[in-house]
Amino acid sequence: MDQILHEVAFFLKQMMLTMVPFILAAQGTMLAGRTGVFNVATEGIMLTTASVGFIIAFQSNSILLGMVAAMLVGGLFGLVMAYMTTSLKLNQFVIGLAFFFLGTGISTLIPKLIFGVSLVQPVIPTLQNLPIPLLSKIPFLGDIFFNQNILVYVSVLVSLLLYYFLYRTSFGLEMRSVGENPKMADSLGINVFRQRYVAIIIGCMLIGLAGVYLPMVYTGTFTEQITKGRGWLASALCFFGGWRPLPILYGSLFFAGIEVLAYRVQIGTSAIPYQFLIMLPYVATIVVMVLTFKRSTTPKFLGSNYDREKRTL
Amino acid sequence: MSKANQTPENKFSVRKLLSHPVMSYLLAILAAFVASGIFIALMGYDPFKAFQTILVTSFRTPNGFIQTLLKWVPLTLLALAFTVPYATMKFNIGGEGQLLMGAIGATIAGILLKGLPPILMVPAVLLAGTLAGAIWGFIPGWLLYRYKINEILTTVLLNFVTFALVNYIATEVYPNPEVGHPTTIRIATEGWLPMLVDNPPLHSGLILMVMVAIGVYAFTNRSTRGYELVATGANPRAAGVFGINVPVMFMMGLVIGGALAGLAGGIEVAGIQHHLIEGMHSNFKILGIIIGLIAKGSSLAVPFVAFFIAVMEVGASAMQRTLNIPIEMVYIVEALILLFVLLVDVVRRK
Repeated sequence: MDQILHEVAFFLKQMMLTMVPFILAAQGTMLAGRTGVFNVATEGIMLTTASVGFIIAFQSNSILLGMVAAMLVGGLFGLVMAYMTTSLKLNQFVIGLAFFFLGTGISTLIPKLIFGVSLVQPVIPTLQNLPIPLLSKIPFLGDIFFNQNILVYVSVLVSLLLYYFLYRTSFGLEMRSVGENPKMADSLGINVFRQRYVAIIIGCMLIGLAGVYLPMVYTGTFTEQITKGRGWLASALCFFGGWRPLPILYGSLFFAGIEVLAYRVQIGTSAIPYQFLIMLPYVATIVVMVLTFKRSTTPKFLGSNYDREKRTL
Repeated sequence: MSKANQTPENKFSVRKLLSHPVMSYLLAILAAFVASGIFIALMGYDPFKAFQTILVTSFRTPNGFIQTLLKWVPLTLLALAFTVPYATMKFNIGGEGQLLMGAIGATIAGILLKGLPPILMVPAVLLAGTLAGAIWGFIPGWLLYRYKINEILTTVLLNFVTFALVNYIATEVYPNPEVGHPTTIRIATEGWLPMLVDNPPLHSGLILMVMVAIGVYAFTNRSTRGYELVATGANPRAAGVFGINVPVMFMMGLVIGGALAGLAGGIEVAGIQHHLIEGMHSNFKILGIIIGLIAKGSSLAVPFVAFFIAVMEVGASAMQRTLNIPIEMVYIVEALILLFVLLVDVVRRK
């Protein structure tokens, strides 16, 4: 009994740890999506910010500085993307894919330029757990939920804040209306372009934080393709979370559960070839998307740019 | 309008210069080279030497040229795998996975069909690759058709499934224990593509690729079905009103795209590798998409752009060897070329 309880506790704790990049990346993608901009560069931005944030953290010996750098780089990506899609009205998917490609390239180029091709991997200290006083003393649950690294708390907080902001403030309502009907929003005096710029830039900063989390939590090193498709999974998460902050939060937990499960089974048994366990998150995502397709809602103007001078949208 | 009237001559000449498609490409390439050249210089390397290596390596030696042709084959097919669905405005990001499925199909056929004469074996291997790729394109196509699930996500997620599948087949199903890296045993020699040049080796997949590229161009630009495909992309609602079955067109585009990428995988196995090897896709990354986008979806432009990118890729390996500049630098240049091609369009529109 103790054994099982111990395993359950470990599983849940790992899940909380694993859900963070999903939450942050998906909320970032969702925010831009709510104004009608479908950011398909999430994976590329995560890779670049993981790489740059890791290097800054390593060089400066400061995890915090690494996070700030990652968010700034993410924001910079967002600014350029916002300019090209919203102001220049270039196709969002084309621009997104270009930035995905650019981000993937930069993520491996920069470490090679700075460290060269060396056999010794630079390592940074991983994020420490930050027990919350009192709450972390609750038996069983305390250690699972309140003895985690800071970004676990931050990611949950961000989700709640985004929910409050989007559904309980007028600025949030305006932002949502831009993604549903930009022409209508514009006629009501809402600045469509500013809303989109703000949403994309803040969204990309969150994606940047999601990216830098990966080298900071698991191994303390940056490896090529460290994201393993988490950016794409985050986009999928937006779809079956219906582009709403709270369902995305629950969805992230589910994703994290699958990832931890695949990992635990991989260690525990050799009955299933481990390659099939590696496939599990991606296959499960597709299956879940099939199962939830009827209920899924997307912002009406997701993926289309707004042109004031055009009569039809 | 008023601004154009103030300086008509100036405006007119710039627009005329930019209006020629080749000219706009040259301008975009130049801008990308200048921008990345500054970056290369800041990193402490010689940009002129770097670009010279990137552009000239392919044409200096017969080996370099043949290397370029060998890269040109899969790059063109992968780019077409992107542009055919792109004609319907659907995005196939799964070219890598479809190529690997093609390689898996070709390898399994090449191992199982041992003993057939080459005249049957070679087409069988290539067909197996094409079919496997087509199936991998059909899945997202069907999910889009039946459940309206975004094809960008399904195609890209299937890539990751394929990476694990390749590892499984190379380590569990047909492993070659003599090699340290996950690799399958070789396919039967009867399944190898005949050679055009023996040394340095150049396989006949090149001719096949050129034929396929012409075929795709004829299909999209000269056939009724191809016209329906393009009409769907131009305006799905109007296409639907005129009796085109739009969702089927979406699916067809993705299936054809998958088949083309699968063929690329089959050619890689039958022509170069002769076995399935983990990471064999890494030379292509998502270059197919970038080529397709630089070509603005035109199947006529794809082979030319693909050749240029093949030249750059071969040059980049040489640049890494001789100048110590990481090969990834060329991805930045390629991404910048794409962005500048798009920006030149914006200027032209004004």
